[in-house]
Amino acid sequence: MKGCRKFRGLVVEALFENLDPGAKPFFEEHLHSCPDCAAEFQSLRDTVETVGRRVRRDPGREFWDGYWDRLSRRLETGGKTAVRGTSDPAAKRFGRFALWNPRWAFSAAAAVVLVAIGIMVGRAVFPPRPLPVAAGRPAAETQPGQDPATDPVLRARIYVDKSKLVLLALVNYVPSGAGPQVLDLSLEKQVSRELVRQAGGLKSDLQGPGRRRLRELVTDLETVLLQISNLESRDDLEAVEFVKQGVESRGIFLKINLSEMGGDLSPSGREPAPEKPPTRKIKT
Amino acid sequence: MTEEKELVERLSTGDPVAFRELVEAYKKRIYFFALDLVGNPGDAEDISQEVFLKAFRGFRTFKRDAKLGSWLYRIAYNTSIDHLRRRTLTPETVEDTVLDSGNNGFSETPCSPDPVRTAEMRLLGVRVEKALQKVSERERTVFLLRHYNELTLDEIAATMQISIGSVKSYLFRCLHKLRKEFSRPGPSRPLEVSDERL
Repeated sequence: MKGCRKFRGLVVEALFENLDPGAKPFFEEHLHSCPDCAAEFQSLRDTVETVGRRVRRDPGREFWDGYWDRLSRRLETGGKTAVRGTSDPAAKRFGRFALWNPRWAFSAAAAVVLVAIGIMVGRAVFPPRPLPVAAGRPAAETQPGQDPATDPVLRARIYVDKSKLVLLALVNYVPSGAGPQVLDLSLEKQVSRELVRQAGGLKSDLQGPGRRRLRELVTDLETVLLQISNLESRDDLEAVEFVKQGVESRGIFLKINLSEMGGDLSPSGREPAPEKPPTRKIKT
Repeated sequence: MTEEKELVERLSTGDPVAFRELVEAYKKRIYFFALDLVGNPGDAEDISQEVFLKAFRGFRTFKRDAKLGSWLYRIAYNTSIDHLRRRTLTPETVEDTVLDSGNNGFSETPCSPDPVRTAEMRLLGVRVEKALQKVSERERTVFLLRHYNELTLDEIAATMQISIGSVKSYLFRCLHKLRKEFSRPGPSRPLEVSDERL
């Protein structure tokens, strides 16, 4: 029959809500004129009424009276509740967790675990490459084809490195940071004496115009090391200060750096660049 | 300012008294809705409390133009569905739950002095709940929200985040399925079982 489809489209609203006033005349007219739709509507209405007679079980007054208390206890035991500026004791106790959403914490923990697993897997699959021998070796260590006994530059490098260590130990000593009783330079003095003994032979081996700067550096170092080796008293802070001033005034560390950068201490297989004669300024 | 808007304002400031008012206003509706979905009173209480905890913790996600009830029902729906999916053990039948309710200290409302009437009501409850288990999850939810929780079609659409047309469609299909279930003869010996429990 005509209009049955439209009628079915209105059944739900007719059963559960008020029909739209505009659709109501059509609905009622069709209901009276179409027995099939009327029977269908009646059966659905009966179903709704039958279902509506069902009474849900109520847990009882005792249950509802204790509901809030049980929820409060759950807040306490869960510790995740949430109140700011509260007067409720239970909520106040856990108030600082108010806006704490554990989800981000779990996400962060998961991310950390993932990164850790990634590192472990990465190390297992791609083991770290061993460092090149040269990279892990001290600067003054012997390289293939070099003999410290015959190579003066290599000896000079070793000499400068050792001297640098002694000077750094002395210069970095801060009397105000420790008592004088802890001043013990016996090791530095011993190394200095040894280096002073080596200085004479080393200077004589460093001949030639290309070694002049290195020779002068060894001479300066020899002077300072001699001062260190001649320190007599364990607690002679004034003498230590005097040595430190000497290191500073002579610019020992600057000279060491310049020698290292200028290639004076490079292996003897590669000669340092010859010192250029002073160039004339071009007059403009 | 309406009462609900005022409550929303207070909740947004973390007022614990407002939280309690929210719980008192909605605890029965949320509990019964969860009970209809999961069928177990203990689970229903757990779920309803979980709903309020989630609501309070996540209140900043509540949109001010939405309705509190719709929002809570949506949380309840999601929590109940999560619960049903997590439940690994074979759930007890609705019939068992209904019949066992007498042993859990639960009473019926309204309490009828007539035991025959009480038995009939209990039997009807069993049949309705069994019939509701035969429809799809969404059809059941829409029907429960409309029929027992008296949400409007608009509110159901907002709660379920579906269109009003879909709400009508689910309701219509659910009604047809329920009618089909009720047209079948009832359980062969339900009254005997009920008599034992009563």
